[in-house]
Amino acid sequence: MFNLIKAETKKILKKKSFLIVTIIFILYAILINVLYKNLNTITSVTEYDIADLQEENSHLDLSKEEDLAAFISNLTRIEIENLKNEYNTYPQKFLIENYLYSPMYHLLESRYYDSKSDKLTTLETEYNTTLELIKKGDWKYFVNANLTKYQNELSQTKDSNEKKRFEALIDLEEYRLANNVIYDESNYLHNALEDIKINLTEYLNLKNKSSLTSEEEKRYAYLQEQIAQDKYILDNKVDILNNTNLKSVFANFASEFGLFILIYIILIFGPIVSEEYNKGTIKYLLIKPYRRSTILLSKLLTGLLFIPFIILLMLALEFLIGGLILGFSSINIPVLIYDSAKNILVVYPIFKYTILSLLSILPMYLILGILAFTLSTITASTSAAITITFLFYLLGNVISNLALVYKFKIFKFFVSLHWDFSYLIARTSNPYHFSINFSLVILGLYIIVMLCLAFLYFRKKDVKNI
Amino acid sequence: MSILQVTNLCKKIGKKEILKNVSFAIEKGDILAFIGANGAGKTTTIKCILGLQKMDSGTITINGYDIKKDFVKAISSVGAIVESPDVYQYLTGMENLEMQASFYKDTNFEDIMRVVRLVGLENRIYDKVSKYSLGMKQRLGIAISLINNPDLLILDEPTNGLDPEGIKELRELLLKLAKNGTGILISSHNLSELESFCNKVCIIQKGKIITENSITELKTTSENKYHLKVDNASHARKVLGKKATLLDDYNLELFADEEGIAQSINLLVEHHVKIYEVIKESLSLEEAFITIAGGEKIV
Repeated sequence: MFNLIKAETKKILKKKSFLIVTIIFILYAILINVLYKNLNTITSVTEYDIADLQEENSHLDLSKEEDLAAFISNLTRIEIENLKNEYNTYPQKFLIENYLYSPMYHLLESRYYDSKSDKLTTLETEYNTTLELIKKGDWKYFVNANLTKYQNELSQTKDSNEKKRFEALIDLEEYRLANNVIYDESNYLHNALEDIKINLTEYLNLKNKSSLTSEEEKRYAYLQEQIAQDKYILDNKVDILNNTNLKSVFANFASEFGLFILIYIILIFGPIVSEEYNKGTIKYLLIKPYRRSTILLSKLLTGLLFIPFIILLMLALEFLIGGLILGFSSINIPVLIYDSAKNILVVYPIFKYTILSLLSILPMYLILGILAFTLSTITASTSAAITITFLFYLLGNVISNLALVYKFKIFKFFVSLHWDFSYLIARTSNPYHFSINFSLVILGLYIIVMLCLAFLYFRKKDVKNI
Repeated sequence: MSILQVTNLCKKIGKKEILKNVSFAIEKGDILAFIGANGAGKTTTIKCILGLQKMDSGTITINGYDIKKDFVKAISSVGAIVESPDVYQYLTGMENLEMQASFYKDTNFEDIMRVVRLVGLENRIYDKVSKYSLGMKQRLGIAISLINNPDLLILDEPTNGLDPEGIKELRELLLKLAKNGTGILISSHNLSELESFCNKVCIIQKGKIITENSITELKTTSENKYHLKVDNASHARKVLGKKATLLDDYNLELFADEEGIAQSINLLVEHHVKIYEVIKESLSLEEAFITIAGGEKIV
């Protein structure tokens, strides 16, 4: 038996097709990693077309009230963009956008509305002071200003929810000072701080609301997840949202490279019996001192042993290729999964996550592999085994999607609804509301039926004359 | 105990009877020529012996082990080439041999090198089989079938693709194996190649064994052919009657046993025919085979 498995392994490894698929995988992995390297990380900032705004302004009639308002708004935007282009570094860029816009707008507004000169002077002074501070890059001034503002508001408010909000905002500003987090959109800590700041009010409002509509519930769950994630980033100082690194490729390994696992499996199981018949080598194999069922079993076991082997091979190749292209340093960053039912953040080390997510869809590969194996045995045709298995995979996906819409009872027994356990890793519930045990029973039944067919057939089969 | 005993082997495919009560035996040191036309049932018989096809009735035993009940024990002392030497093209000759050898207990590298030398493949054994000629594949196939020192060797059309030198080597190899006690079943289209070294012949026609004999028996039961050169062939033909066939003005052919040829010569002398030459042409196995099959050339 051991010798048979050894021989089968040799046959698979020595075939050109195995080498070819591995080479294609390497090329594909290189492309994927290059793609990840070039993914745009910074959340897309709204781009303003200055020429467009100027064009629009030239057509406005300033004697009309609403046109004037639009004119001033456009002009402010143009000035801000020009300043941002002038000081194309952080924190200046961020401060101009967030702390200079309002003084600039008020200044321009009072200019065009013929305000009193003393008000205009005040506004001009305010604008110039702010601009000077920004030019110097004195970001701490703005943090301290915020802190003072929040502390004042905290001391004045009596509403307990408002109190919580200001306390949280003060915490954020203090974190910024303590950790020297410059206003810089390429800094993940800055992004996390700003993200919480943006979401905080809405989150607290929803949290304190007594009853939520289903829309609001979804939104609340989303905000909960976002804030939990941002908090994790701030507490642990890890850049988990960055997806231009090796960790990110590994987190998406199953979806990026899953097709290759399928290709390898079909490639191994599709010809495993049929090719021996087609090439006539079955005659040598069957006149060796083994029972036919032993020979078939050794083929099955070899194929099954190859599944972990090819997965490890792919992981190792990706680790090398991805590491060379994206660097290895991100491998310590974990994957965070938010469990909405328990309201906790589950932290997976990256390799554990990758392996678990692959394991969760392993039943699919197992079913498809055994299907190819059975077809190869019964039809003695490699092309039939490969084509039908691939079609079954496509059909399975279609039926899985249909079953989400149409609740026909018959779908319950179709295997593709049961071969994906990734919901366990994603910490969501089964989309079809099946229990794990029911899914396992269905999977077991499919496997037993297919294997029985293959073994009964192989034991009886005559080797036909050419 | 016979090495191979086939008894009343019957096989149907669909409604067609492929084999009808096929029986024969191979003893230690036998080389049995298994002869039949295309479709007569040679390969089917061989496949039944090897358990590659199921039989409908009858028994086959190898070294006393029933192929159905004791398949593993029966088959472990058999080596065979069926139809053609189909080995893994993407492996080298050596890798193929090593793989086949690994399926038997107690085979080692020495055994492999021994069979490589036996078939004369030393120079090309590390080449991929896809680069082999048909003759070299045939040699590799024979090497594989010998790897387990079989008691029973079954060769289906082994001379296909072998050059005359290769056939000569194969003949010597088989004689040597038979001398050491191996029973050999060999089927071939080329009957004249078999006759020089087979000691038994088994003729199958339309799924039935029509004769199972030793070669010498087969030959002596028939008349021999004589070639005569005389001064006047047509006159001689008249004297001898229908037994003789006219070839040209001086030559004729005659079928007769030993007594018959003596009488014929006497008769010619009495009729004043001058005899220049009398040549006995030994009857070939093929011709004997045709005689037995009723004059119908079936190969």
